[in-house]
Amino acid sequence: MVIYSTIVDFVIGIFLGKETNPIKRKLLLSISIIGNLGLLVFFKYYNFFLDSFVDAFTFFGYEISTRSLNVILPVGISFYTFQTLSYGIDVYRKQIEPTRDFIAFSAFVTFFPQLVAGPIERASNLLPQFYKHRFFVYNKAIDGLRQILWGLFKKVVIADNAAEYANLIFNNSAEYTGSTLALGVFFFSIQIYCDFSGYSDIAIGTGRLFGFDLMRNFNFPYFSRDIAEFWRRWHISLSTWFRDYLYYPLGGSKGNLLNKVRNTFIIFLVSGFWHGANWTFIIWGALNAIYFLPLLLLKKNRTYLGIVAEGKIFPTFREFTSMGITFLLTLFAWIFFRANSIDHAFSIISEIFSGSFFSPIELPKEFLVAVGLIVLFMMIEWLGRANQYAIAKLGPGWPKGLRWAIYYSIMLAIFLFAGNGQDFIYFQF
Amino acid sequence: MIMKKLLLSVLYFSLPILLFIFLAEWFLTNQLRHSRHGEYSVWNDVFDSRVNSDIVVYGSSRAMVHMDPGIISDSLSLSCYNLGINGHNFWLQYLRHKELLKYNTKPKLIIQSVDVFTLTKRPDLFNSEQFLPYMLKNSEVEKATKSYKGFNYFDYHLPLLRYAGKYKTIGTIFKDLISPVPIDSCRYRGYAPQDQTWNDDLEKARLRFSTFRVDIDTSSVQLFDRFIRECLSNGIDIKIVYTPEYKVGQDFVQNRDEILGIFIKFAHKYNLTFLDYSNDSISFEKKYFYNASHLNRKGSKLFTAKLVSDIKKNNFLGK
Repeated sequence: MVIYSTIVDFVIGIFLGKETNPIKRKLLLSISIIGNLGLLVFFKYYNFFLDSFVDAFTFFGYEISTRSLNVILPVGISFYTFQTLSYGIDVYRKQIEPTRDFIAFSAFVTFFPQLVAGPIERASNLLPQFYKHRFFVYNKAIDGLRQILWGLFKKVVIADNAAEYANLIFNNSAEYTGSTLALGVFFFSIQIYCDFSGYSDIAIGTGRLFGFDLMRNFNFPYFSRDIAEFWRRWHISLSTWFRDYLYYPLGGSKGNLLNKVRNTFIIFLVSGFWHGANWTFIIWGALNAIYFLPLLLLKKNRTYLGIVAEGKIFPTFREFTSMGITFLLTLFAWIFFRANSIDHAFSIISEIFSGSFFSPIELPKEFLVAVGLIVLFMMIEWLGRANQYAIAKLGPGWPKGLRWAIYYSIMLAIFLFAGNGQDFIYFQF
Repeated sequence: MIMKKLLLSVLYFSLPILLFIFLAEWFLTNQLRHSRHGEYSVWNDVFDSRVNSDIVVYGSSRAMVHMDPGIISDSLSLSCYNLGINGHNFWLQYLRHKELLKYNTKPKLIIQSVDVFTLTKRPDLFNSEQFLPYMLKNSEVEKATKSYKGFNYFDYHLPLLRYAGKYKTIGTIFKDLISPVPIDSCRYRGYAPQDQTWNDDLEKARLRFSTFRVDIDTSSVQLFDRFIRECLSNGIDIKIVYTPEYKVGQDFVQNRDEILGIFIKFAHKYNLTFLDYSNDSISFEKKYFYNASHLNRKGSKLFTAKLVSDIKKNNFLGK
């Protein structure tokens, strides 16, 4: 699949570079889009559309028989398809020159650190890096190793321990009361953040070790003061992709009220649908659209562009409250993201918003170790929130002994508190 | 030059890590090899040749809490050790048997406790921590445990890796350094009598399922057959014992009779003694149990005395 995608977009890129006829250029772009999205739709969404189609007919009293496909989703298809698509579109828009170097283009599509789960790179950033002669830069390599170590800590210690309780609670939700279910949602929110941003840190760090600069994918999203800020900080490579290749072409935030509402819903629903062929992801997307829309309509979606409480240890009460509310809103949306079905999500919500929310937590007391680790982790993240990643400032300015002592401590924490190995969540997308 | 600088830095940085790996491996394994906690005490006795008994008891937690080797030894004037392994069915019981024969004198008699779960295979490696000090480069342990969800290839072949994430075990090791567990305080020659009163396990299980069907694992049946053949060819006698089970709970398993039938067949096939206490008076008395399948201390003492009396009465040892 990846070879197919690579060849199709490489060839189309060359033709697009030569072609001046606008109709033929559009035709070439359409081939690229249909070729890439066709693959994605076939592997990822065929069964979903088929089932929804059958359900719709059944609803109106018609029984139809169909055959669903038992196909395995190729790993990373959602990521490299978007990467090659962006190349085709950028060449069409004449924002970049098409490459004639097949090796460089193949390396751009299949660059191993980010192939299976991003960050979704743009040709304008990554492709030129393959043309350049790279020199080994000691500090860059050290920085890469440091980011890998931090990514490992996030994944192995925080995400995997949170996953143990999130899975236990979500997979047996009928047995738990509101308080435990709410804790399960909290654990999942930490799991998905540390799992995915941990992977991104490892990918970016590995890239830096080899002299490549990959784009940032997370920017401390749980310290966001509103949902618009959250979306500027969460899965940045995907949200900017949708912004540049879907939202802006649709008109973005320009135009009349109806257009603004339509475009906002489209981008969030598509974003939800990108995650998987399940109505739960679509509801998750819709919820985020509902959160985002008031900010857009009141022109408050760009209120928070800087770092929260910059230069201070503690946030103000207002900042703290804003972050808390934003976090609670995202927690609510994560219920749909994690639940197996919409019914499952609603059963969890109804239990959380019942009197049982005030009942004691029904988990083995070891969950407090996981909570303690999360609290410690969030404190480190808070202190390092002005940087590319939380421990990025452990630079050459620090005494070597202290730096190494911190690295050894992180490694010891990974050894002592490693959770049961869990697959990366975003590998399934 | 710069690359050389990085490689040297990595080397210097790694040296203390390597040293730590080997020291921690030695320390943790050594401490656990002397531990008297739960299953460690039994495994350590097996690996350190401290079992060396005429009679050994095999089985799951039911064997572990039901048969007092002290009573068996005193009544039959033969040494006895209880090798019951909590939470595990026959696959891991067989591992204990293999390691026993490797490091100890072979027993004259095996009392094999069986139950409805003996011939099943669970997906997870229950209490996987118990294998930590013995599994590095031990092909027997690897063979018996690798098919379960628990450890991977590197855990069996690289030092220290298997201890990753086992902070509770590591914590216990350090706690033991301060106040060690006295010998035989957790298990007396493998036996772990329980002073618990009746709990609501049966009621909880009934709330979840009205009845329950046990999946019989063919490979476990084959292994059980192989085990009997190996023992008999080695001159080791086997008594298959179905220890008391609270009568009210017996109906809970739909195919209980089918499972019992398999053991009866084995007994007939190899001319072995099969002692079934399902309908013994103990099985009707709730006061002897703490849940439907486990006797409390009082029940286990009474049962062991009865078992020994049956063995003597029927001159089973003289067979």
